[in-house]
Amino acid sequence: MAQQELIPSSGKTGIAAAVVRIVAIIGALVFAAPILLIFITAFKPDSEIVDFRGILPQSPTLQNFHEILGSPEEIPIARWFGNSLLISTLTTALVLTVDSLAAYGLARLNLPGKRWVLGVIVATLMVPGQILLVPVYLILNRLGWLDSPLALIVPAGAGAFGVFLLHQFFLNIPKDLEEAAALDGCSRFGIFLHVALPLSMPALATLGIFTFIGSWNDFLGPLVFLDSVDKYTLPVGIALFQTSYYAEYGLTLAASVLCTLPVMIVFLRFQRHIIQGIALTGLKD
Amino acid sequence: MLTRKSLARYSGYLFVLPYLALFTVFLLIPLLYGLGLSLYRRELLTSIPARFIGIGNYVEALHDAYFWKALLATFRFVLVATPLTVCAALAIAVVLSRTSGKLQTFLRAAYFAPTILTVSVAGILWRWFYNSEFGLFNAYLGHLGIKAPWLTNNSWALISIALMTLWWTVGGPMVVLLAGIHHIPPQYHEAASLDGADGYRQFLHITLPLLRPVLLFVVVLNIIGSFQVFGQTFMITRGGPEMSTRSLVQYIYETAFNNYRMGYASSLSWLLFLVIAAFSAVQFRLMREQ
Repeated sequence: MAQQELIPSSGKTGIAAAVVRIVAIIGALVFAAPILLIFITAFKPDSEIVDFRGILPQSPTLQNFHEILGSPEEIPIARWFGNSLLISTLTTALVLTVDSLAAYGLARLNLPGKRWVLGVIVATLMVPGQILLVPVYLILNRLGWLDSPLALIVPAGAGAFGVFLLHQFFLNIPKDLEEAAALDGCSRFGIFLHVALPLSMPALATLGIFTFIGSWNDFLGPLVFLDSVDKYTLPVGIALFQTSYYAEYGLTLAASVLCTLPVMIVFLRFQRHIIQGIALTGLKD
Repeated sequence: MLTRKSLARYSGYLFVLPYLALFTVFLLIPLLYGLGLSLYRRELLTSIPARFIGIGNYVEALHDAYFWKALLATFRFVLVATPLTVCAALAIAVVLSRTSGKLQTFLRAAYFAPTILTVSVAGILWRWFYNSEFGLFNAYLGHLGIKAPWLTNNSWALISIALMTLWWTVGGPMVVLLAGIHHIPPQYHEAASLDGADGYRQFLHITLPLLRPVLLFVVVLNIIGSFQVFGQTFMITRGGPEMSTRSLVQYIYETAFNNYRMGYASSLSWLLFLVIAAFSAVQFRLMREQ
């Protein structure tokens, strides 16, 4: 840090800095430990979980995984995984498509009344999601979409966050590039597709990752809009699991591993992207 | 009359149309529909048709002991969880701002990681930690001869949920605050160091005042989120013991989807919205005055 270069570090500040660093590392391990514990404990037999003797399994076993994957009638966990993957992927595709088109139109095209439209969209960022739960349920009921993946995919396309984020990004693309493309005879949609989109890859990636993780982890939506067990996503499936296999923590934790692994991979692969995106937008979840 | 030129201008709206359709059907209309619904007696399981009752649902809420109990539990949760989470986020951000390079990237990721768990997984994990018979915490505390009533005592349960929430959600505010600290020009700290101010004084007189706008933003967001607490309590305590952790959103969920009282649930949603809006307005006013 800059002030350390300015001031010759005395022994006292050197020790203080080392103490701060050690505290930070211990704290980080404490925060990460519960996640590691899911992965480690899933390989323990139930007897070792109930009678806790230590972090590591004394006789590691794949029994929990065999059991949850081996009885698809009772525990359709492969279906839940498939449902989650389908819903998260299609939601991400829908959000990226409609949000980028709308944000481009509102940022770059000379549309009458667009300030007013944008104002209404951005104002809804303040609306807490819980208030939409009952009316959206009734609308989905009327559309006949309850208990189908559509109930979770299509309403997700109404969120204002992506339009807001991409709008800010499109505003900063230099106009000359688009003008040059227009002179070459490119249509407005062609400019959007071949000039604006490639230039906004970082913002699109951020929005895509957020949407995917948000959709994968969504709990209240599937809990309310889905009814049949084989339509469930992993998060609600696991919650149901816990009520029917109350004390069998080994099974529940093995299921948790399957639910956590995909988002954990996305997180580890894109963690800089995710963290910078949150720092930029101040977004919490 | 529309000329060709103005028609061409409006045609640009084709870009916005798909989103606007979804926005209208699944956001604008539900918002107004919900408000209208809150003025009706609408019960799904009975054959009684929906009936306009004016502010009847709101009057019922004011006389509903369960509503007040849920509101109180929610307030208590906000009062415990928000200061706890934001203070922890600030402390972690300040400590991390004193590290750099790969170490900072690693530490930031470790503190942030719990945020990417889904609430049912996080909830199951902490239910196991808190379990009074074979839970991890009591297994360790047992060596000291202590057995804590993490989830079985009314006042402990709320604090246990707040602690789990701290672990689960501290990452977001921490990252935002850390970015805020990085935005403070280093000259301020350099000048203070030359004047002989120690780390604590620099935090109090430089970091904290300059971070104030970001900090207030984080507090407002956290309060809005905490008022809507649902997943953690639903997974860990189911609202118990004795409904001491049944939040307002859980009460709304049960009113709408266990009892199918859609009109009443809508009025409860709008009451919660009003509480959140009032809190946010006060916070923004405080922000402007400073």
